[in-house]
Amino acid sequence: MRRRLAHAVCRLEALERQQERPTRLQRLDGRAKLLVTAGYTALLLAIPLTHLSEVLLFALYPIVTARAAAIPYRRIVRQSLVVVPFVAGIALFNLFEQPEPLFRVGGVCVSVGWVTCCSILLRGLLSLQALLLLIHTTGFRQLCQTLRRCGVPEVLATQLHFVYRYLGLLLQEGITLSLAREARSCGRRSYPLRTWGPLVGQLLLRTFDRAGRIGDAMAARGFTGCMPELPGSRTRWQRAETLYVAGWGVLLLGLRFLSPERIF
Amino acid sequence: MSDALVSPAVAASAGAASLVLLGTAVRKLRRRERDARIVPLMGVTGAFVFAAQLINFTIPATGSSGHLVGGVLLAALLGPWAALVTLAAVLTLQCLLFADGGVLALGCNLLNLAVLSTLVAYPSVYRPLAGADPSPGRITAASLAAGIVALELGALAVVAETELSGITALPTGRFLLLMAPIHLVIGIGEGLGTAAVLCFVRRCRPELLQRPRSGGPDRPVGRRRRLRLPALFAGAALLLAGSWSWIASTHPDGLEWSIERITGSSELAAPADTPHLAATTLQQQTALLPDYGTSFAGIVGTMLLLLLLFGIARILLPLHRKP
Repeated sequence: MRRRLAHAVCRLEALERQQERPTRLQRLDGRAKLLVTAGYTALLLAIPLTHLSEVLLFALYPIVTARAAAIPYRRIVRQSLVVVPFVAGIALFNLFEQPEPLFRVGGVCVSVGWVTCCSILLRGLLSLQALLLLIHTTGFRQLCQTLRRCGVPEVLATQLHFVYRYLGLLLQEGITLSLAREARSCGRRSYPLRTWGPLVGQLLLRTFDRAGRIGDAMAARGFTGCMPELPGSRTRWQRAETLYVAGWGVLLLGLRFLSPERIF
Repeated sequence: MSDALVSPAVAASAGAASLVLLGTAVRKLRRRERDARIVPLMGVTGAFVFAAQLINFTIPATGSSGHLVGGVLLAALLGPWAALVTLAAVLTLQCLLFADGGVLALGCNLLNLAVLSTLVAYPSVYRPLAGADPSPGRITAASLAAGIVALELGALAVVAETELSGITALPTGRFLLLMAPIHLVIGIGEGLGTAAVLCFVRRCRPELLQRPRSGGPDRPVGRRRRLRLPALFAGAALLLAGSWSWIASTHPDGLEWSIERITGSSELAAPADTPHLAATTLQQQTALLPDYGTSFAGIVGTMLLLLLLFGIARILLPLHRKP
């Protein structure tokens, strides 16, 4: 339990550390990166399930972006593996439901089910990798600012900011409670409901008290419901952003509409 | 739900529906902005749900463990609309920071996890069962029922979205039979977890459970009447688009009838030259709804039209801002 909470804290800290070493890609306006990620995901998901070669070509984007952001691609692949169990749970049924042969490799007959199953898994992994790269190269604060500039209502953008800001604190609080419980549980690891309820209830009450203090403190400093931007944190859309969007746009559309079967 | 399980058309429809509901929630919450403390309260409560989701409990008699989704719990503490915005922030953060879901599937996840629990299960199941001053027994019964309803509806929505996307080859009935029992167990876990926390809160700080009713934060005021008509209109349009396309005439129209009389078929075969072939391929590849049923296409078309009209109205009619 405590390990899961500690792992979440580590992920948050790693994300913060990533922003301390900005590359050129990280300095780009968040809107450009968000636009390319959304376009990439939409084009990837529009590929018919049986066109596995086209899905494979789309691996180009996460590999190149990871390289440009100086992030080891292996790490992104490892993080994206979390999607596998749920997607595989649904994709595996295609093996049994679609036994019709599609092509032969040597003496082995490959069924439609195998191709669609692999295609679903690859789509899941690649779309998640694109998302992970977006957050690694943009950072959460800049992404909130980007969402606000894209027209997301102030209340929602401020909520995202607040949840992120206090997540670290409440995870620490959860670790403290979990540690205290473990110290008194004589080695028992499971949390029966009669223990879990008061434990999480206690966390909730502390949360409400903390929210009250934060609310009073912010009201005293003139907070009116909108989170102000930090000076110097606002990026501008320049030629580099236009080139980035246009470049990836042309390349991805090319990959989508010029399938390898037609080229080779 | 992962990006890999939805098609762009289904993701866009779910995203549009979620945006409309979130927009309504945001409008209702603006009424509360005079009490600026509600914003940090929602934010910190969202962080609490996030942290609480990482603390699993043992589900009695199953040997497995579960964690909160938190929709009904948040709705009981903050009111349904504030809970929707808070849960939307939590799900977005989970998607962005912990790779739970995906960018395009976010709309589907908001519908399945946030909307169905805060705007359907809470007002239609929890609130009537719990009553004004609930006893621990009533809280437990209401939480359990609301948890099961929310999770089962969520499972139904996942099945519908995956089937409409054409991703799984599993027949709808068998897919539903697979999902429903699993989500029944998860729903029982969710209900028991929610009840355990709410009973503790009732014992220690009962005033927190009366919050949504006392100040009426989610009671719509002011523009309610103005919003009712467009909402009714949009609902009717969607219903008509979905249901009338079933009974749309299958007979050819005048032009098709004439062509049929001449050529024997209601559609003309396109010439097999390169430009026509290229145009047909391009159309197939760029069509938003290439192989969907008429009913679904009707609903998506109506949603896109409503969005377009909304966009045009926003551009043409300037908002009257308060000084």
